[in-house]
Amino acid sequence: MNGEERMQTSAREVIIETRGLTKLYQMGAETIHALAGVDMQIRRNEYIAIMGPSGSGKSTLMNLIGCLDTPTDGEYILNGTPVQGLDDDELARIRNREIGFVFQTFNLLPRASALHNVELPLIYAGIPAKQRQEKARSALARVDLADRTHHKPNELSGGQRQRVAIARALVNDPSILLADEPTGNLDSKTSYEIMNVFEELHGSGQTIIMVTHEHDISEHAERVVTLRDGLIESHDAKADGLMAGV
Amino acid sequence: MFVLEGIWIALQQVWAHKLKSAFTLVGVIIGITFLIAVITVVEGMNRYVQEDFAGSLFGVNTFTVVRRSRISTGAETEERRREQARNPDLTLHDVEVVRRAVPDAWRFAYSSDRGFDEVSYRDRRRRNIRLIGASEGYEALQGWEVNRGRGLTPLDERRGLKVAVIGAEIEEKLFPGLDPIGKEIRIGSQRFEVVGVWDKQGGLFGNIRDASILLPYSVYRQTFARDPSDVDQISVKMRSLEEMNAAQIAVEGALRSDRGLRPGEENSFWIETSSELLDTWDKIVKVLFAAIPGLVSISLVVGGIVIMNIMLLSVAGRVREIGIRKAVGARRRDILIQFLAESSTLSIVGASIGILLGIGIGKGVEAFTPMPASVPPWGIALALTLGVLVGVGSGLYPAYRAAKQDPIVALRSE
Repeated sequence: MNGEERMQTSAREVIIETRGLTKLYQMGAETIHALAGVDMQIRRNEYIAIMGPSGSGKSTLMNLIGCLDTPTDGEYILNGTPVQGLDDDELARIRNREIGFVFQTFNLLPRASALHNVELPLIYAGIPAKQRQEKARSALARVDLADRTHHKPNELSGGQRQRVAIARALVNDPSILLADEPTGNLDSKTSYEIMNVFEELHGSGQTIIMVTHEHDISEHAERVVTLRDGLIESHDAKADGLMAGV
Repeated sequence: MFVLEGIWIALQQVWAHKLKSAFTLVGVIIGITFLIAVITVVEGMNRYVQEDFAGSLFGVNTFTVVRRSRISTGAETEERRREQARNPDLTLHDVEVVRRAVPDAWRFAYSSDRGFDEVSYRDRRRRNIRLIGASEGYEALQGWEVNRGRGLTPLDERRGLKVAVIGAEIEEKLFPGLDPIGKEIRIGSQRFEVVGVWDKQGGLFGNIRDASILLPYSVYRQTFARDPSDVDQISVKMRSLEEMNAAQIAVEGALRSDRGLRPGEENSFWIETSSELLDTWDKIVKVLFAAIPGLVSISLVVGGIVIMNIMLLSVAGRVREIGIRKAVGARRRDILIQFLAESSTLSIVGASIGILLGIGIGKGVEAFTPMPASVPPWGIALALTLGVLVGVGSGLYPAYRAAKQDPIVALRSE
């Protein structure tokens, strides 16, 4: 896919929109505003880094965007669907279809092979075994692990594990790839490898949202959203006018 | 899909931790082993009693008139027992009354019998034997067949010949390597010529025939009878069950009118049939089967609690896995089903081991006794059903705990 096509797809469709997204936690008598009203838009094929010091609310935002949690207040529209107020099972369905998670600690099933780990979302999507294996194999091939399908996580290096996790995140063709400190447990060389994978995916049209606290990692994104005290502090669009309105 | 997942995980765990699994499943294994073993043995005994034992004791379609019931069903009252003790002895007159009541009997015989100390041939002895003095037709009615020589004939009876037919165990003891036919054995102070030997009956209860000596009735009466009764039993064999039922009613009526019993008065005699014995056996089986559920359910409940504990540990150790599964789209019920499948598989593995062990015990019983080991399909179906129930029952709470995990918390757990 060349740059022009990428521009066309990315500039159009809003895939994530939040309005006044708020999350409160009750800590004893004290109420903590983890998110104090976040408005943001993310378009298809954007590559965004969310930054901020710890306690800034970036994990909370990540959980809300990933439909692992529901907001106390505000709206969240994912791919045209209002997500706030959905029940557990509906959220599970959305996580399954729309979101691919990549975690700092990989979060692979330790006893399962790479192939089975990648198959997992397809199992819960109810896809038949044969088709499942095909899709899982091709997802592993996309991250250059076609020859590691039957290895268990403990037989793989950190970078390979994270690539298995990326394959798992991609296997169901999600609307967004949601990465939480994806290089936090990796050395710099491997981090660089993973960032290359992200760039390739982005190049082929994947929307990527990445939470990180490392500046050199956030450099890879097109746009950096910085949070502080539960609010967006700044949008920093490095690239060519892709910045979405607040 | 996650059912398979749960089954697969459970099987992997059993395989990876064989010893731990053995301890986990010991309650279920013991419960099901016991269940299957008891069902197997009782069913085998059931078949044995119905097919072999009752038939060999009383014969098919046969009833026997005796003074009082010889089988305790455990149901009769003390009063009833005392009443029966007042019944008069059977006499040769009664024999004639019965004979006239059933002119179409297929087989008819009367006999007396007693235990006796010893029978000898030269210097060889056999202790604890049974002497039977019987009318002609007794052997045919009992279905006893001679293996060598001949049975008793009407001529032996009429002439009062001192002849005897002996059981196989007595032959083995007195005539090792010898032909017993024509030899003279000594019973008490009397000498008898052996004219025949019966087939060996063998078996658990078979020695009744194998250790018996049959003498002509008149000879027995003169020489050995010690109780005042002329006759211990009068037996009638008919060709079918319907005929037997009709004949039994006819004999009952004939004896009652001969003895002048008024309507409503209890019989002053007793009629035994093999069905009476089978009724008693049925009662024993019922008691056995009534005892099983209690004993089995105790071990299954214990087994279920152990499995529940293991499942709780398993859930606690796999919180992160649950988080991962939820993150990629597992719904509550997917997790629930996975853990239920896991606990059920554990339990079914235990039940299957129990079934095999139970059948093994049954086969062992079969090898050392004449009883056939018979595992009915319903027994196996019951055992597997119980396995599933215990598995689901013990997995429910752990699976519920797993299913309601918050994915965010679960993903953060170590």
